[in-house]
Amino acid sequence: MKAYNEQWIYNRDLLIQSERWHRQGLLSDEQMEAIRKAYPVEFRRTNGFIEIGLFLFTTVAILACYLLPASIFSGMLDNPTVYGVFNIAFGIGVGIVGWFLINRRLLYRNGIDNAFVVTLTGFLAFGFNQFLPNGLSVSTHCLFTLPLLLLVLWYYGDTLIAFFSLAAFYTAIFDSLLKVSGGRDVLPFVMMGVSLLLYIGVRQVINRTSNPTYYADPLNLVQWLSLIVLAASGNYFMVRELNGLLLESSSGRSALTEAPQIGLPVLFWILTFAIPGLYLWQGLTKHNRMLIILGTLGLIAAFMTVHDYTALVPLNVALTVGGLGLIGLAVAGIRYLSSPKHGFTDAPDDDSPNELFINVATIAVAHATSTIPNGPKDDLQFGKGDFGGAGSEGKY
Amino acid sequence: MSPDDVLNVLSKQGLILPRQQTEIAELERKKPFSLHWELRSMLYIGILLLSLGLGLLVYDNFDQIGQGALLTAIAAACTGSFYFAWRNRPVWTLIQAKSRSTFGDYALILACLLFLTLEGYAQYAYEVFGSRYGLVTLLPAALFLPIAYRFDHRGVLGMALTALISWVGVTVRPLQLYFKTNFFDQDTVISAISLSLVLIGVAFVLENRRIKPHFTYTYLTIAGNLLMVALLGGLFNFDEARLWFALGLGIACFAFDRYTRQQRQSTAASEGSFLFLLMSSVYGYIGVTYLFFHYLKPSSDDTYYWYFIVTGIAFVYYLMSQLPKGNRTNESI
Repeated sequence: MKAYNEQWIYNRDLLIQSERWHRQGLLSDEQMEAIRKAYPVEFRRTNGFIEIGLFLFTTVAILACYLLPASIFSGMLDNPTVYGVFNIAFGIGVGIVGWFLINRRLLYRNGIDNAFVVTLTGFLAFGFNQFLPNGLSVSTHCLFTLPLLLLVLWYYGDTLIAFFSLAAFYTAIFDSLLKVSGGRDVLPFVMMGVSLLLYIGVRQVINRTSNPTYYADPLNLVQWLSLIVLAASGNYFMVRELNGLLLESSSGRSALTEAPQIGLPVLFWILTFAIPGLYLWQGLTKHNRMLIILGTLGLIAAFMTVHDYTALVPLNVALTVGGLGLIGLAVAGIRYLSSPKHGFTDAPDDDSPNELFINVATIAVAHATSTIPNGPKDDLQFGKGDFGGAGSEGKY
Repeated sequence: MSPDDVLNVLSKQGLILPRQQTEIAELERKKPFSLHWELRSMLYIGILLLSLGLGLLVYDNFDQIGQGALLTAIAAACTGSFYFAWRNRPVWTLIQAKSRSTFGDYALILACLLFLTLEGYAQYAYEVFGSRYGLVTLLPAALFLPIAYRFDHRGVLGMALTALISWVGVTVRPLQLYFKTNFFDQDTVISAISLSLVLIGVAFVLENRRIKPHFTYTYLTIAGNLLMVALLGGLFNFDEARLWFALGLGIACFAFDRYTRQQRQSTAASEGSFLFLLMSSVYGYIGVTYLFFHYLKPSSDDTYYWYFIVTGIAFVYYLMSQLPKGNRTNESI
């Protein structure tokens, strides 16, 4: 028994697919009507903007509900055990109220229930950690909290909780590796291996399960994040700079001017290009949108890494040439695919988030214009810096 | 769930004919994979990088040999892009025009961005506009606004409106959610409010006359945010006029609420109009909360908590009541 009606979620997926065929004229109106009757979805209809507002206001109300008794009994809550019990009890209370609301109001990811899930998890995890003895490492805390997170994830299938679970998982590995000798050297390899296993595992789950719709979004998120961590752990820039930062903090040496060379530099240079290249190749052969996008972004990041360490040309030339290159590639791609070739096309389809993209483009443009110089001459550093679009990491 | 799974289920239930199942399955297998938005995102990122790089290039080579050639090249690129966009301009119509070419819209964006680079540089190096900084931002606004209408380009309209807002001394930066401005100056606040009211009025008049009605959303998003932020700025900073700003905020929130309701009844494609409901409730909540604590100055913490509990629940109820209701199953998802 899970938080939401699984049958409705299944029906919803089925209806979305059928509606697409209906729009394309492959199903008749009568057939569509019959399918809607056979597969009802009773969830409350919702809207993205309203969800944001509902999430905000629900969180405000729940936090105030928590702080009110917490301030009244503040004298008793100095004891960690009492404090832990209070938090857990409050978390359970939030869960029960949430359960009533979800069932009475037919909620499904309407913002309200998301706020309940996130706050209840927060209270439970916080209260639970009060019982652990003092002085434990971060990794132990993460490891002990992980089962709780997974339990909540199993019950609600919530995407945010999936993100927190994954973050706790990676933090536990990262932190525990740094504690053992030689851990820093194997860190990139362990991260790559774990991410690869995670990705393969999730793919297996998706392929083997007949009906993974309840967890579709969390599974999707885990794929994205594990692939990103996998590529980042093999990237020369990330490995070298992170290694430098860790050296600095562990040895107490202050501010190295430059991160020192790492072991096996050739291997990491190869991986910097090989992993995104592999993504792109696999994405193109298997028609996997996620791999195509990550592969392209990863290759852009790889070229930025080369620029960062070799600096063959100054930044302005690199940006100009890079921009021209991207424009050229995009124009060539659009022209080449103007008629479908090799199973690819340039025509838009339903999978694309077109409205969202248009809105994002408008915001980015408005933002770019706002750097128009309108102050005295000293302020005229036009176009310096705060573009958000490049997806660059670190100091670029 | 893969398309094949869905087909199997539907066929087993007798909801589609076996012939249909094989047909659709065949179509799904043969359907080419669309790279439409991926390629356009790439083009867009390329344009942003190129204009950023050229902008940096000009400033870094200030007063050096080759600078003239560089400027000439940028000017040529700007003119070339604009010429290309003009050659591929959409047919003039009062309603939403269909784009005639794939690259025209993007060439126009590039031309506009390069124009801003050139203009900024002209002011930096030669002080073309002297100390009349207002002109520096008024010029792009005056230029981009007609371009946006002629080419039916919402991105350029956004640029024009932002330039117009900069002109009255306010720089809104939606990506960073902070505003580099001074709302401690009453003139700035009043002019920002006036400008946004004028823009909103213009948008409604134009929509009424059926002149590019699809631009209304862009107008309302930009001008509406400016209006709300300016009203809140006035509410926070000016003791003597606080209640007037509060009244203004109340009226603005009420108007946006009415507008959303009206939109929802009139057309089917108005999902985006809920943005205005979100804006009015969030900005309104900030204003109400500020007024509550400013005037009541509660002594105990409990009052704070009770305030947030009651108002939080009230706003949740308000937003829930706005959600579309009714026979959910029969509506498209």
